[in-house]
Amino acid sequence: MTPAARFPLLLAASALATAQSFEQSQTFLRLYCAKCHEGTSPAAGFHLRSVAEPTSLKDNARKWTSLALRVRNVEMPPKNSPIPPLDERERFIGWVDHAVRVEACAAGPRGGPSPAHRLNRDEYAATIRDLFDMHLDIGQRLPADGAGGEGFDNAAETLFLSPLHAEKYLETAKLLADFAAREFKPRQRILVAKPGPGVTPTEAARRILDTFLPRAFRRPVPAAEAAPYLALYESARKQGLAFEPSVFFAIRAALVSPHFLFRVEPPNTTGAPRPLDQYALASRLSYFLWGSMPDELLLDVAASGQLQDPEVLRTMVGRMLRHDRSLNFAQRFIEQWLHTRELGGEKAPDAKLFPTYATDEELRADIRFQPILFFREVLVRGLPLTELIDSKYTIGTSNLTKHYGLTNLPLDKTRLKQPQLVEMPPGTNRGGLLGMAAVLAVSSHPYRTSPVLRGAWILDSMLGTPPPPPPANVPPLEDAMEPSSAKSMRERLEQHRLNPVCASCHSRIDPLGFALENYDAIGRWRDQDGGKPIDAAGTLIDGTAFNGPAELKKALFDRKDLFVRNITGRMLGYALGRGLSLTDSCAVDDIVAKVKENDYSSKAWIEAIVLSAPFREQAPAAVPARTSKERTKQ
Amino acid sequence: MAAPTTSKPPVRLAALYMPNGVNVAEWFPADKGSDYKLTPSLEPLRDLKDRVLVLSNLWNAASKGGDGHYVKEAAILTCTTIKKTPGADIANGISLDQLAALRVKNETPLPSLELGVTPVAIGVDAVVGYTRIYGSHIAWSNPTTPLAREINPRSAYERLFGAASGPKGNSAKMDALLLDRVLGDARMLRNRVGATDKIRLDEYLSVMRGLEERVQRASQKTANSWKPRVAIDASAAPPERPKDHAEHVRLMLDMMALAFQSDTTRVSTFMFGNAVSNVSFRFLEGVSAGHHDVSHHQKDADKLRQYQLINRWHVEQFAYLLNKLAGMKEGASTVLDNSMVLFASALSDGNKHDPHNLPLLLGGGGGGRLDTGRHLGYTEDTPLANLYVSMLDAFGAPVERFADSTGPLPGVLKAA
Repeated sequence: MTPAARFPLLLAASALATAQSFEQSQTFLRLYCAKCHEGTSPAAGFHLRSVAEPTSLKDNARKWTSLALRVRNVEMPPKNSPIPPLDERERFIGWVDHAVRVEACAAGPRGGPSPAHRLNRDEYAATIRDLFDMHLDIGQRLPADGAGGEGFDNAAETLFLSPLHAEKYLETAKLLADFAAREFKPRQRILVAKPGPGVTPTEAARRILDTFLPRAFRRPVPAAEAAPYLALYESARKQGLAFEPSVFFAIRAALVSPHFLFRVEPPNTTGAPRPLDQYALASRLSYFLWGSMPDELLLDVAASGQLQDPEVLRTMVGRMLRHDRSLNFAQRFIEQWLHTRELGGEKAPDAKLFPTYATDEELRADIRFQPILFFREVLVRGLPLTELIDSKYTIGTSNLTKHYGLTNLPLDKTRLKQPQLVEMPPGTNRGGLLGMAAVLAVSSHPYRTSPVLRGAWILDSMLGTPPPPPPANVPPLEDAMEPSSAKSMRERLEQHRLNPVCASCHSRIDPLGFALENYDAIGRWRDQDGGKPIDAAGTLIDGTAFNGPAELKKALFDRKDLFVRNITGRMLGYALGRGLSLTDSCAVDDIVAKVKENDYSSKAWIEAIVLSAPFREQAPAAVPARTSKERTKQ
Repeated sequence: MAAPTTSKPPVRLAALYMPNGVNVAEWFPADKGSDYKLTPSLEPLRDLKDRVLVLSNLWNAASKGGDGHYVKEAAILTCTTIKKTPGADIANGISLDQLAALRVKNETPLPSLELGVTPVAIGVDAVVGYTRIYGSHIAWSNPTTPLAREINPRSAYERLFGAASGPKGNSAKMDALLLDRVLGDARMLRNRVGATDKIRLDEYLSVMRGLEERVQRASQKTANSWKPRVAIDASAAPPERPKDHAEHVRLMLDMMALAFQSDTTRVSTFMFGNAVSNVSFRFLEGVSAGHHDVSHHQKDADKLRQYQLINRWHVEQFAYLLNKLAGMKEGASTVLDNSMVLFASALSDGNKHDPHNLPLLLGGGGGGRLDTGRHLGYTEDTPLANLYVSMLDAFGAPVERFADSTGPLPGVLKAA
């Protein structure tokens, strides 16, 4: 999503979006920016002229969003210049976001760019599993992928290649081909023909490759593309290899080919948006909902040319979500959206302070999978998205029950250790994502809770309104308080907020976190901390007061549209595997509207994402501009 | 082990990156020159004092502004201001190590070796608007290509062993056939995609061609072909899962030493952690919090004490590597004599996110070129890039300029 689309800053700002006119925006700019950004040599080459006309909202949208971002992050106006008061700043930023989007959306949602995606290592591993019908923990052999776009590791733009990748792809392909050649199931899958009476070895190899290559490349493979692979088989024979090793050699090569390693969509050369190619759409769907290659049925539907049919797509989505493979999707989306993947790394609770967590592997797995399985149940059952804010149901196991100190969960006695969807009795304080240990732990320090981290986590992950970075020149905390005093965290933070610069954001961050203070750093319930009773009361600057998690969730429920907009932007970014543009955010608006019409149904939500223009359509290919050589020139 | 060969030993270049800056008061020595007194954080260098340069007052102008960490960390070896982006258009400069690697890439099986202990940080830092990719990479082969790191000691070992022992039987020939095919696929595909995808395929072509060249070189045995200076011991494979952070770091540094000793590569980088690393250092006596948390000490005496202990631990690891290299004989010299090992953080005081007066150490002999054993203090805000100009000179890859350099850094190299 463009930074601007995340602007409605913190809780109070969303209502302010339209409370300004173009004229008022000009007054703001003249007042705070004209000193440097006018005249013959405006600072950084930015002249206010370029945003002085209403048409600039459309023609110069980037200028608008980037200047608003700078104002939001308090980078502009610079130090030692008059800084607009917070409410004025937010009104301006909210207005820019709104106004730019209104202009961009006038033409309705459209298809966006369709960049080539390198399979990330999870996708690579899952694709290998399905291609060969074999289970090997192969992902660990490849370098981990970073992330970009909306924060996910399937973002095309950040799936770069380094020499290490090349080496690992070559090596892993050999390992896989050798393994497949020995195992029963993969052999059955691959060796669909064998030399014998009436079938020459070459003919058998041809049949094998004609079956394998379209599956590996996820589309029909024309003879001209398949022929070189048969030639590879022949070369291997000439090197003295037997029939099977020669076949597996050609297969090994296919696994290093860009046709396998990349999802490349045929470029749209029509000059206007158009529906996506059937096979490209099949791959989009399967890498979205399964994180793996399309299965036979999907490829068959693509071959019949019916995959663009909305009814067919709806059927496919339901079927794919119910399939086991959608667990992979739920896991990757949830662990990156909520950051709970970090529980296995730097955010791991301290082993000395929390020995139960550190020593009980089952409990750790249950904690980590609780939000993942819950999310999947919400999708599979088409429950409302608001269940993620608060719910009567959760995923329970005997370990979790014990961890949460709940005695009366109606778990299935025959499978106490298996995660299962259970209805909770009232008053458990365990509904929604915020009742789950994974979320409560990852938004804490490894050794104690932090209302600031939890508040910021809610603002960012739940509401999509991350707090701006702390200004560069704030006085350090201790100027307002004695170091290492025995004061409670609340007292320290209240003192912190005596400084108006800190208060402008922390008065919005901290109260949210305080409401969760009854949960310790691994999500257990507590009534006291350090011998003092927990005070879980907080008041937002718009006056909303709450005490404890139940009331916090109610306050969030009242802002559910902000939540739904946030999760929709993230999910669309995940589905497309790229960062969202301004035009994509028009589609987000449409999807959110559909979800609201359907009582926040998650079924309507996923369907609307799949049926949206950005998912099903493709913008015209970019005009060739710079080659990579020019790009990388020093 | 085979006897070391006697040809003139090559010069090696390494950079170790420590996240989160230092407790400044306990880091920089008070006096300059060769008679300086080691500070508490530098104390682990007591037996290596004459093999190390302590540098003060260098800074990285390109990493000013932006944010507190990503801009600094990504620029530590590039001295270039990164582009602020959640990912669509990442841009940095080429890094010191990669410029050196370009010069010698045809002389060793691996052009360079990138090592670390923590996986790439996932996601976009929404607060500051940078993809965390920036915080996870210090080696950049060109402005848009950060180099992936190996973090598993066993895989790193197997990679070195495989590269050093070269292809078996006709495997190089088969690999060459295979690579020729996939390069053909890529060229064909390149012709029918749009401009953006062409760039991606160019990246593919470039890394696969590099691999093809290596495979070909390895298969063409001539009198001048590369031979390991010391054979890699087939039975010395490290465990796949180190028991803790400290052991993990040591094992990766062992791999770097092994790569240098065998001459499998001459250029290597190692990251103790990603930018903003909050690895728990509670394994150190007296430390109770994570690395990044402690670096925001807010002048609290107890946090400063813990911060110093963490800094000191990193210097111990640096000393461990230098000692290891010093124990590796090659002819009349040691691998340390023929290496330059940079130790750097991209921040000075972590509490202030300050890129002035960076904590920098340079160890080793640089093939007889480095003039070690002193604390060199420069005039305020001398470009860090000047140090890199001098290092590239000693490495045998001299440049006129590196990023914002204004010349070589006086005092680093022995007078010619």
